[in-house]
Amino acid sequence: MGAVPETTAEGADRVGSWARALDLDELWEGEMTAVTVGATSVLLVNVDGQVRAYVNRCPHQEWALDEGDLDGRTLTCSRHLWEFDVLSGEGINPDNCRLTGLDCRVEDGAVLVRTG
Amino acid sequence: MRRERIVLVGAGRAAAAAAATLRREGFDGDLVVVGDEPHPPYRRPPLSKAWDGAAPCVDDLLVRDAEWYGTNAVELITGTRAVALDCASRQLTLADGARLGYDRLLLATGGRPRRLPGVRGDRIHHLRTVADAAALREQLAGDGPLVVLGGGFLGCEVAAAARASGVEVTIVEMAPTLLSRAMSPELGELFAALHRSRGVTVLTGERVDSVVQAGDQVVVRTCAQVLECAALLVAIGISRSTELLAGTPVACDDGVLVDEFAATSVPGVYAAGDVAAAHHPRYGRRVRVEHDDNAVRQATVAARNMLGARDVYDDPHWFWSDQFEHNLQMVGSPEGHDRSVVRGSPGEGAFSVFHLRGDRLVSVLAFDRGRDVVTGRKLVAAGATVAAEQLEDDAVDLRRLLRRQGGGPS
Repeated sequence: MGAVPETTAEGADRVGSWARALDLDELWEGEMTAVTVGATSVLLVNVDGQVRAYVNRCPHQEWALDEGDLDGRTLTCSRHLWEFDVLSGEGINPDNCRLTGLDCRVEDGAVLVRTG
Repeated sequence: MRRERIVLVGAGRAAAAAAATLRREGFDGDLVVVGDEPHPPYRRPPLSKAWDGAAPCVDDLLVRDAEWYGTNAVELITGTRAVALDCASRQLTLADGARLGYDRLLLATGGRPRRLPGVRGDRIHHLRTVADAAALREQLAGDGPLVVLGGGFLGCEVAAAARASGVEVTIVEMAPTLLSRAMSPELGELFAALHRSRGVTVLTGERVDSVVQAGDQVVVRTCAQVLECAALLVAIGISRSTELLAGTPVACDDGVLVDEFAATSVPGVYAAGDVAAAHHPRYGRRVRVEHDDNAVRQATVAARNMLGARDVYDDPHWFWSDQFEHNLQMVGSPEGHDRSVVRGSPGEGAFSVFHLRGDRLVSVLAFDRGRDVVTGRKLVAAGATVAAEQLEDDAVDLRRLLRRQGGGPS
């Protein structure tokens, strides 16, 4: 009981292992944070209770996204102001890029992420 | 009924943004992009920045992949210059003799590097295109030294990229400081110190008297010394590509004159990007902006207005520069400011400078503090009134100042 699947649009068939990334109560609604899972820096975002996980690298020049700004569901990378919709992972400006999504789910108050 | 046709001249960043906007906004007529480079529109900013490994490859820089144009019914005519424009009959003539009728036209021809008169040679470089970048990189693959003539953003970025890849580099700038056209003397000094600390020789206040290529060497004589180098980059600005408009009624003055709607003096003809000299309502004067983001935003407004909208282009302008591992960003214009407020620690690295006119924020400059610009840009665009003490206080979240603008009178 209590398992709430939260899966990103892509990567459903990705292999890899699930790992506990963070307690959900450490990730407030409207906030984002970076955690290291295995060897991967993972960006976790919470938009109105919906949790998403992405590789913490801007697809532009791999700058760390957690140094950017989250406003509603729009994430802006601080380096060159590329904007992304963090619910879908799609680029807003430019609109032909996307964040690298990681499978993610919330279970018993913990955010689990699949990497590898 | 005859299909409408919109032609975009100049296959750069602005044309790509306009094409995407026109299709997104539902334009279903013919859409043609004409450019003289052999490539689909690509991003130029990376050409002067971080040289990691191989020479730049245009495929990595494309704004849209090649298939996008087919999928969106955008006819892309590359490697072909537009040579004549007849505004009365609404016809564009291409270098191969082809004639293209249009209903509306976007001039997005950009600019080309200014050259030193009478100076020629295969070791004298300019940087605008991916081909320019490849040629420069190839010549420096062996070793330098490289002399960069011009200490503006382009020159400084190339100097940093070349130096970081091991090349011996000298910057020669006529003005007393680097980046003097757009930045304060203090910031110019900061960048000069940064470059020097990495081993770049920075010569400011030094005029160049002559440049001659002799065999494999370029000899640069300044008012103070003689420099010899394997390659010279001339980075002294661009002139705007308006040759097409000679003899046409399209008004030009070092750029295509456009109003705040990106419209030229001729009905149906618009201009955007580096080539445009636009009346800017925010600054109450004509401005020319040579930055990537401006090309995208201005062309987006132009495209919407070509379809009948009356959008005003009053973006406060944002740009960035990457040099070594540092990132500089600026939004707005400090002109007319009467107060500057610093956030962060200029002595230790990251800091931002906020410029205020009265209690209104007019520009933000951030050195390794891009996050301040993310919110600062919204504050500037909104014409926000802010308290200097709060900008100064690193504990105050700038987003809070933005939220405060929402409701009551400002």
